[in-house]
Amino acid sequence: MKARMLERADVLKIVDLLRQQGYEVIAPFSGRGRDTRFDTVTDENRDRIQVHLPNPYYAPKRFLLPHIERLLKVRRDNGEIKIEPTYREPKRAIFGIRSCDLAGIWHLDRFYLGRDFRDVYYEKRRKNLFLVNVVCTDPERDIGEECFCPCADTGPAARDHFDLQVMDLGDEFMVVAGTPAGEALFAEPMFRNATEAQVEKRHAILGEVRKRFKTTTSWFPATVRYVSQGNILEKTWEEIGNRCLECGGCTYVCPACTCFTVSDRQVGPDEIERVRIWDSCALSGFTRMAGGFNPRRAVHDRRNRRFFRKLAHYFIQRELTMACVGCGRCAAVCHGDVGMPSVVEMIRRATATNDKLQPV
Amino acid sequence: MNCEVQSASSPAPATENIYLPKLAVLDRVSDDIPEVKTFYWHFEDAAEQAQFKRFRPGQFAQVSLFGIGEFPASLPPSPTEDETFFTIRQVGSCTAALHQLKPGDKFAVRGPYGNGFSMEDYYGKNLVFVAGGIGLIPLRSCIVYALKHRDKYQRIQIFYGSKTPKELMYLPNLREWQHSSGVECYLTVDRAADSWSGNVGVVGSLFKKPGVQVPVDNTIAFVCGPPIMFRFVIKDLLAMGFREGDIVSTLERYMKCGVGKCGHCCIGVAYVCVDGPVFTYEQIKKLGEDI
Repeated sequence: MKARMLERADVLKIVDLLRQQGYEVIAPFSGRGRDTRFDTVTDENRDRIQVHLPNPYYAPKRFLLPHIERLLKVRRDNGEIKIEPTYREPKRAIFGIRSCDLAGIWHLDRFYLGRDFRDVYYEKRRKNLFLVNVVCTDPERDIGEECFCPCADTGPAARDHFDLQVMDLGDEFMVVAGTPAGEALFAEPMFRNATEAQVEKRHAILGEVRKRFKTTTSWFPATVRYVSQGNILEKTWEEIGNRCLECGGCTYVCPACTCFTVSDRQVGPDEIERVRIWDSCALSGFTRMAGGFNPRRAVHDRRNRRFFRKLAHYFIQRELTMACVGCGRCAAVCHGDVGMPSVVEMIRRATATNDKLQPV
Repeated sequence: MNCEVQSASSPAPATENIYLPKLAVLDRVSDDIPEVKTFYWHFEDAAEQAQFKRFRPGQFAQVSLFGIGEFPASLPPSPTEDETFFTIRQVGSCTAALHQLKPGDKFAVRGPYGNGFSMEDYYGKNLVFVAGGIGLIPLRSCIVYALKHRDKYQRIQIFYGSKTPKELMYLPNLREWQHSSGVECYLTVDRAADSWSGNVGVVGSLFKKPGVQVPVDNTIAFVCGPPIMFRFVIKDLLAMGFREGDIVSTLERYMKCGVGKCGHCCIGVAYVCVDGPVFTYEQIKKLGEDI
């Protein structure tokens, strides 16, 4: 990987460069209070882009897997029925994607593009996506109460899957290229070579940032083992289920959740469209079949499902990554405090106690 | 500065759209039993039809009713038969819309999906089919397939039960199987009508009837039916000495995509649509969810 240095004042010139190349650039902006969001950069809002800010709750996953996405149109034309798939192939860049969300996209890549069936809609949106990762270095603004990327091994600095990675070294920024497309930008004169001392400084800052994470931790290894071996008592799932309000919030903010439902809707007298919409395994209708039979009746069966899907070794092997990236969003939005870190803790304690072992 | 050149070089082969259904035409409809009809259809495109006809018994397809939605449906025909058809009970909005269609009307189909029964692996074995109610729909494909390749298998037995004589599926087939020398076909109903001279009782009661001898060694048992029937038949089969790995069934789940993406049919470590819908009882037990 190649590293370059950038003047503090020049960091948003990366955005300008990408826009000049025809990219629609998405970047993070501050709203009121904790509220932050990703939005399209325009001439008007360009100067308000934030490099350091709390990661928006609405994950950038939606630029690859929109909340509602049209799959196809069916038109009736003089008695003829025509089925037309509708594709969108935007040339987009995301500036300021955090390492956790980057790991989320890598997980989605494995899920939608791996194995037997490739998802062409995802593929087209992914093809031209340019990713500029910003490393979380500011303990006050970047690292939230619920962040636990060091436990998920996805951050604070991503090792891979970005085109460019930007890290604040205090007086200036270090930029690392992860792909040839990212490296191509280094032809611009504003990028200067990095010295060994600056690389050292990067290591030192990362070492320090790791110590600045707050109290949220998620000790995955033991829990993955318990879940994979089926050692978890029904009672533990029930306790988790009792605290779930079935709002689906955890799944909607999750950068690694993949489930969707499909629905048809009339858009004209002779035209319908088929859309896919994010769905949530927390909702009771998720597995209900026509006729009313629902194999997952109890709330805890559904909670069990979500965490089993994310933590079972079988799926981690299949997708090569765990479907939890440590962003902490589920912990932040859950009213019942059964986000991933709490669940991992509950499982770990209950199972170890049951085994008459010290919790590990 | 030439990201575009990179992405435009060496065009990769186009990815097939896994969600794109193909137009199908309804040929005719036959009334089977109350609320259940069989829909004979073909793809508008002959090449599509030929491609589809390579399905295996036990696979399924996604059926699209425009403006209503899509649902998974078993494939009751055997690939050895000429016609393609679905047998569908009216339960929800999609199946209700399908029941309204008239010959000549169009809908759409994609598939076939799922693993299907590995009928070739069962060569040289006895086949015991146990079905309840509309559970005969997916098993019909295997039965017709097995009878077409009769010399490949040892004994073939069919045990089939429904609530009343009126609700026996595929009557012409049942009559044919009852009178065929290559197959032992036993029927039962829960509640008999006056005209019924056959057995009355649950399907498991057929196993104990005088003259019935179910082979256990070197046998595959196919079980399909409502949850309660499934549980009791499994108990009976295990008591007879069947191994859990020799009992196969096909699972039903809510599905939106059929290709392992939408997440609705995932039980335990399996996506029913791609890892199933056919599982052995040994596997089903490990999945850990109601059948």
